[in-house]
Amino acid sequence: MGHLSIRWLLSELPNLEKDGVIDGAAAARIRAHYGESAAFSSSRLAVAVFAVFGALLIGSGVILLVAHNWEHLGRGTRAAISMTPLLVSQIFVGWVVLKRFGSTAWREGSATLLALAVAAALALVDQTYHTGGDLESFLWRWALLLAPLPWLLNSTAVAMIFLAALTWWAGAAKVEGSEVLWLWPVAAAVVPHVIQVLRSDRRGLRAANLQWAIALFVCVAAGVSLENRVPGLWIVVYVGLFALMITLGAVNRRDEEGLWRRPLEAVGITGSVVLWLILSFDEPWRHIGWQHVRTTESFHEVASWVDVLLAVGLPLAAIAVMALLLDRRRHRFQLLWCLSVPLVAVVWPVVAATDSEWIGAVALNLLLFGVGIATIGTGLKTQSLATVNLGMVVVATLVVVRFFDSGFGFILKGLAFILVGIGFLVTNFVLSRRLRATVVEDR
Amino acid sequence: MMGRRLRLALFTAVALVQIAVAGGAIVRSELALRTGEAFRFHIQPVDPVDAFRGRYVAIRFAIDRAPVADDLELRPKKRVFVPIEIDADGFAILGQADVDPPASGPYLRLRAGGIYPDEEGNRFVWVTMPFRRYYMDEDLAPKAERAVWGGRRGQREASVSVRVRDGIGVIEELYVDDVPIHQWLAENASESR
Repeated sequence: MGHLSIRWLLSELPNLEKDGVIDGAAAARIRAHYGESAAFSSSRLAVAVFAVFGALLIGSGVILLVAHNWEHLGRGTRAAISMTPLLVSQIFVGWVVLKRFGSTAWREGSATLLALAVAAALALVDQTYHTGGDLESFLWRWALLLAPLPWLLNSTAVAMIFLAALTWWAGAAKVEGSEVLWLWPVAAAVVPHVIQVLRSDRRGLRAANLQWAIALFVCVAAGVSLENRVPGLWIVVYVGLFALMITLGAVNRRDEEGLWRRPLEAVGITGSVVLWLILSFDEPWRHIGWQHVRTTESFHEVASWVDVLLAVGLPLAAIAVMALLLDRRRHRFQLLWCLSVPLVAVVWPVVAATDSEWIGAVALNLLLFGVGIATIGTGLKTQSLATVNLGMVVVATLVVVRFFDSGFGFILKGLAFILVGIGFLVTNFVLSRRLRATVVEDR
Repeated sequence: MMGRRLRLALFTAVALVQIAVAGGAIVRSELALRTGEAFRFHIQPVDPVDAFRGRYVAIRFAIDRAPVADDLELRPKKRVFVPIEIDADGFAILGQADVDPPASGPYLRLRAGGIYPDEEGNRFVWVTMPFRRYYMDEDLAPKAERAVWGGRRGQREASVSVRVRDGIGVIEELYVDDVPIHQWLAENASESR
């Protein structure tokens, strides 16, 4: 059972006992059972977290020592030294596989150490012989050597390091103008590990961490891997991506879970707000679509088709999840935030056909305003202060952005800011008082 | 659930690949350095830093293109084989690039850029040198850079010696005014500060 559920159950025990649902002995037994198991699992968790951080610090320390460059040691010595951390951590991991594989702390800690030892070995060899080329080639070799480890050693920490190295590589390679088509197939190496984790404990911390890493990776990777032959296709890709994250996150969770356990929704909603704000300007909508296909530069044929595949596939996948897996009443909030998918599906072709970018900008301004207000409404109805504030942040940011954008004078801008600020404070004050009042009534 | 034996066997395979990649680079480089032929290339250095491998002197080769035959077609990023020739001053220059290694003589295996005609209409191919960094002690690298750029009488002449074997080149030493860099820094301690 999840951490939060246990806490809830324990907090309910006094009432249940008072109302005569269970007797004192039963309550004590429940308390002993869950109290102990909760304490035990959180202490185990702490050990695992410390093991990973310890390994991270030691491994990074070794890399920094390597980076100092001990030239006077001579080539032979340095070649020997470069292999030592690698061999030691490999033997350590081998021992863990044989003797301690059941322990998350041992597994994650030793695997993290190995991941960084691989980096240290590659780095020192490159340094000693002045080989290995640019940073991107280093990151690429490192990522490839890490690829089997998350699954093989059942290590989420290494999966996160692997995705980080891969993202960094893709970014560096894209800046250099290289092709990053291999990004997706190589990243797929974490999929077996994802299945592993979701099967064993889909509500656990490891599952949440892994989803955070994947959500952030996908956000960056989608942008980096786009070839942008058809201008403006990224708009459709990202709208679809964030909607898919929000819907998948909603399918996967239960209501009592905190924000850290809802990475897909958190990234999806934050990403949506940022994306919509960008799209509320004219500029992103200028010269988009099939009439402006770029012909002057050379493009990778397969990569251009991946663009189209993502632009069609992601929104369709989001719609499929909405239609098949979400409940229209229970998931009103998520469905509201996916309104961007049908809207952009209509607006994007219209802008592309008519070359009138203002249509796109106006549509997204209306979307931001509408979704912001509706979110405030949902929050008021469900008495959730967080939801109300999310809606207000959306509306307030929209107002602020439009005011910076426009030609209004400073006095008017200043007054608008003050009004938005007062609105925030008053709503929060009134709402929190009302919430407190209902809590008191309930008692 | 996977058995311990199988997991250990698979992990051993992965570990061996990790060792082979890191160790293979050592073997290749040592072979080139011990048995390869030595050449000197003109360079233009600057001093950046790499998050993992420390400070280095970035090397821009003075020569970064090679002539090609009129009928040779190359797609960008393909491997080309470029023979190494020696100019009148004893420095290395690049001969005519081809898709196969030359029958005799030293050559480098390089990555091709695009093919362009120069001012006289001769075709040449841009090439990327595989050795573009000279890693140094974190205190010495900035001094080495200043040594090359900071001379009062303008830029000093810089070069690297490269050992070449079977198309693989490995940097051996960085020279400033024909003096190995460490020796130069020791001799000119005051100026390079």
